[in-house]
Amino acid sequence: MSLTLSYDSGTVRLQGDYPADLPGVQADERSKSGRAPAYRYADLRQALDEAGVTYTDRVLSLPDLSLSTTYDLRAYQRTALDAWHDAGDRGCLELPTGSGKTVVGIAAAVALGTPTLVVVPTIDLLDQWERELDREFDVPIGRLGGGEQRLEPVTVATYDSAYLRADEIGDQFGLVVFDEVHHLGGEGYRDIARLLAAPARLGLTATFERPDGAHEVIEDLVGPVVHRIGVDDLAGEHLADYDIKRIEVSLTPAERERYEAAQSTFTDYLAQSNIRMESGSDYQELVKRSGTDPRAREALLAKQRAREVMMNAQRKVDRLGTLLDRHREDRIIVFTAYTDLVYRLSERFLLPAITHETSAGERREILDRFREGDYSRVVTANVLDEGVDVPDANVAVVLSGSGSEREFTQRLGRILRPTDDGSRALLYELVTEETAEENVAARRR
Amino acid sequence: MLTKELLRVSRAGGGYHPQFVDAGVDDLAARVLGVYQGHVGERRAALDAALTDLERDADDFKLVRGFAKLLERDATFETQSPVEPRRVRRRVFEAAESVGVVDDSERQTALERAGDHFGVAPSVLEDALYADRDSRQVMAAFDPRWSPSELRTQYNLSLAQTALFDATEVRVRSSEPATLVSAVKRLQLLYEIVSTPSGREVVVTGPDALFSNTRRYGTRFARLLRTVAATAEWELTATIDDRGTERELHLSAADVTVPGVEPVSEVTYDSGVEADFAARFEALELDWELIREPEPLEAGEHVVVPDFAFDWRPGHEGGVRKTAPDESAFRVYFEIMGFWTPEYVRKKLSRLAALEDVELLVAVDDSLGVGDAIDAQAHRAIPYSGSVRVKDVRDALRPFEAELVAESADSLPDSLEPDADVVSLAALADERGVSEDAIEDKSFPAHELVGRTLVRPAVLDRVDERIEAGQTLAEVQAILDDHGIDDDSAVLSRLGYRVEWDGLSGGTVRERETD
Repeated sequence: MSLTLSYDSGTVRLQGDYPADLPGVQADERSKSGRAPAYRYADLRQALDEAGVTYTDRVLSLPDLSLSTTYDLRAYQRTALDAWHDAGDRGCLELPTGSGKTVVGIAAAVALGTPTLVVVPTIDLLDQWERELDREFDVPIGRLGGGEQRLEPVTVATYDSAYLRADEIGDQFGLVVFDEVHHLGGEGYRDIARLLAAPARLGLTATFERPDGAHEVIEDLVGPVVHRIGVDDLAGEHLADYDIKRIEVSLTPAERERYEAAQSTFTDYLAQSNIRMESGSDYQELVKRSGTDPRAREALLAKQRAREVMMNAQRKVDRLGTLLDRHREDRIIVFTAYTDLVYRLSERFLLPAITHETSAGERREILDRFREGDYSRVVTANVLDEGVDVPDANVAVVLSGSGSEREFTQRLGRILRPTDDGSRALLYELVTEETAEENVAARRR
Repeated sequence: MLTKELLRVSRAGGGYHPQFVDAGVDDLAARVLGVYQGHVGERRAALDAALTDLERDADDFKLVRGFAKLLERDATFETQSPVEPRRVRRRVFEAAESVGVVDDSERQTALERAGDHFGVAPSVLEDALYADRDSRQVMAAFDPRWSPSELRTQYNLSLAQTALFDATEVRVRSSEPATLVSAVKRLQLLYEIVSTPSGREVVVTGPDALFSNTRRYGTRFARLLRTVAATAEWELTATIDDRGTERELHLSAADVTVPGVEPVSEVTYDSGVEADFAARFEALELDWELIREPEPLEAGEHVVVPDFAFDWRPGHEGGVRKTAPDESAFRVYFEIMGFWTPEYVRKKLSRLAALEDVELLVAVDDSLGVGDAIDAQAHRAIPYSGSVRVKDVRDALRPFEAELVAESADSLPDSLEPDADVVSLAALADERGVSEDAIEDKSFPAHELVGRTLVRPAVLDRVDERIEAGQTLAEVQAILDDHGIDDDSAVLSRLGYRVEWDGLSGGTVRERETD
C-alpha cells in the first residue's frame, strides 16, 4: 500500500507503509495508522524526501495568495526579516515595543504569499492587527475572537480562540505569526503551535526569555530567536525621555481606622497559622486554605478590604484633581488597577473610561477621539497593556501599580512623548504613605 | 458546568473525589433560589451582596456560589435608563472636555450642558452615565427551571463535568453503547475498545493524545458525561491531571444523573423487525438469554455495535436484557440487516468481516441478494423476508447448543448423588449451572427418576404409606407437597394410582387396575 499523509485534528496521519524512525511518528492503535504532532509536518516531509520515499501529501490544501504592501521596511526590520528567512522561515524576532512588529509580520506574509494566521494575546491587538491587515491587503481578513468567528486565508485570532480551534483549522495556513510569542509558553497555549501544520512560523516579542524557562518550549515549536534588536539600537528615534514624580498621600482618619482593622484581622490569622507571606507561594497557600478554612477566607477578604482602602484613598482622588488642574493644557492618561476606582474617577471628573467592561467599539471610539484631540484625558485599568496602538500622552498618573516592573515600564515607553515645545514627559505615581503599598512601589525601584 | 475555582474535590487516599451533595443541602439550594427570586427588580450589586451574605453563613461558600452560577442562566438582566448610556457618555465627555472639569462647579456645568441636549436634568444623566455596567443592571426576570432538589442534581452533574475539565483520558462503560459511541464521534474524540476483567470499556481521548497527556478535550469530556449520565447504567473512570499529579476519578449513576431527564431504561429498537424478533424469541423460553445492543466490537478502524447477543444461560429468568457488564457466559452476536442500499451493505459487511474473533450470526433480508457474500465470509447467514423466523435462528444456534451441552455434560461426573431427598431435574441443572439436557443421561444411584423429578426410594415408601385409595386429590396433593414433590401425576402413576376426575379441579384417587 502506498503512503498517504493527511491532516487529522492536530496530527499528521500516515496511512500505508512508512519507514521507521520518522520524526515524531508513533503507531496509533486506535486508527491503525501512524501519527505525528502536526508541528512536525515540515520535518516529516524533509525526512521522507531524504529517504527517497514517495508519498501522497494531503496535509495542506492551500490556495496561492497574491499579497502586497506599501510599507517600505526600515533597515533594521529588513535585517530581522532576512535573518528569519535564512533560518528556514522559522524562528522568533525580539524587537522593542514601538519598533513596528506588525510591519515585519505583514512583510513575512507578503514574502511567502501563503494563507497566514496571526495569533495575538488581547482583543485590542486583535482589533489593531485586523485594521492594519485590512488596510494593507486586498483580501477579506478573517477574525477569530472578540465575539466573531470568521475564517479567511488571512485570519487574526486571539490565543484563546486559536487554542479552541487549532485542531480544526490547523491545515489551512502555510504561515503562522505569533505576536507577543512569549505567551505561547503557557501550558495550554503551546498546544496551538503543536496542532498547526504550518511549516513557516514567526514569533514576535519584546522579551523572549520567560522566568519559568518555557522559552525552550517555544524554541521547539516556533524556532529560536534568530535576530535581536535592543532598545538602545533605536534610541532617540522612538522612545521618549520622561521624569517620574512620586507623591505620597495619607489616609483620612476614617480610612486609617478601617485599614488597620482589616489589616490586623489579616496579620492575626497569619500569626496563628504560621504563614509568613514571604513569597508568592505563601500567598498561594493562603488561597488554597481559604477553600476549606473559613478563617483563612475571612483573612483573605480582610486583606482585600485593606488593599481597597489603600488603593481608593480619598486623598489620592483629591490629589488627582490638583494634577488635572495643573495640566489643563496637557494630554493625560490616568492608570489604576481597580475597575471600580476607574468608574469613580470617571464619574467624579467626567473622564472617558476604558476597562475590560468597555465594549470593543466604544474603546476604539475613545482612543480615536483621544488620538484626534477631541479628548485630552482618559482613565483606564490595565487594558492598554501590551502592544496596543495607544495615542501619545505627555502626562501619566498612576494611582496604583501591580508591582510588576515589566508591565510598568512597558506602559510608560509606549505612551509618553515629549511635547512639541520639547519639554519632557512626566509620570506621577500616587502612593498612600505608611501602608504595605509603599513596599510594592519600593520593590519596583 | 461550573468554573474551575468552584470545584469542590477531596483527594483523600490519593484519589480524586468530587464532593457530591445529597438531600441535606436542599434547604441551602432553596435559600439561594429565594435570594434570586427576592431580587427581581433590583440591581445586580444588591443581589451579589445578598449572595455574599449567604456565603458567609453557609459552611461552604463554594457550594453557594455553585448554586448561584447555575441559577444565573435563568435570570435576565437589563439596562434601565431613560437615555442610552453610551450616548450620554459621549455627550458628557465632550461637554467635560470643553469645560475642563476639575472641581464640582465645573462638573455641574458640564452635566447641565449635556442635559440640555437630551432635555433632562443633570441628576438623570448622572444615573444614566454607567447604567449599563453589569453591577448596575437590573434583574428584570427570574424563571428558574429547577426545584431545589433538581438544582442539587444539576449541581452534582456540573461538579462532575468540571472535574472532567482536567481529564486526559476517560474510560466508560454504558448500558447504551451505541449512544455512547455516537456521542464520542459527534464530539470528534478518538476512542478504542479495550477488554478489562469487568467487561469492555470505551477509552476516549483525542487524536494528539499519543504525544502528550493533553487536557484540551476537557470540555468535550464534560459534554460526553451529559450523554452518558442520561442512560440507565454506566460507569466512568477518568485520569485527571491534578496540577501535574495523575489521579483517578470514578463516577457512576449513583453520583450523577441529569435533572428532569428519566434515564431511558427500557429496551429500544431500531426497527419493527428487531422488536418483533425479540418478542417472539423470548416466548420460546430457551436457555439463551437475549441481550439488546451489547457492547461495541472492534472492527478494524471502526466499531460495530451488533443488534443483539445471545448469552448461554441455562435456567435464566427470561426477558430481554440490556448490556450485561460482567460476562462469563458464552456469547453469540446477532445482526439483523434490513433493506439498505448496496453500498451500505457492502460497507457493513466489510466491517463485520474485520470483526475480531467472535461468533456472529447475520440475518439478511432476501431482497438484498447478498446471502452468498456473507457465507463466503464465514459468517452464518440466516435469510429472511418480512420477519426473521425464530425457528431459523434456533436452528442456527443449535450447533452451539449441542456443543455447550456436551461440554457441560463432560464437566460433570457420570453419576450424581444430590443431597436433597427430592429434587427436580430443572433445579439440579440450575444448581450445576448447566442445561437439563446435560444431566438427563447421568446415573443417579441414590435416587429414582420419577417423571422429571429425582426421589429417594425411602421417600417414595413413606409417601406410599400415607396414600390410600379413596382420598381426594387435594388430600393427596397435600401429602406430596409435604415431601416437596411437584410432579404429582408421575408419582401417583409410579405408586400404582390413578385419578378419577370429578369436574375440572377435584378428583378421587383410585387403585390403578393392573392389566
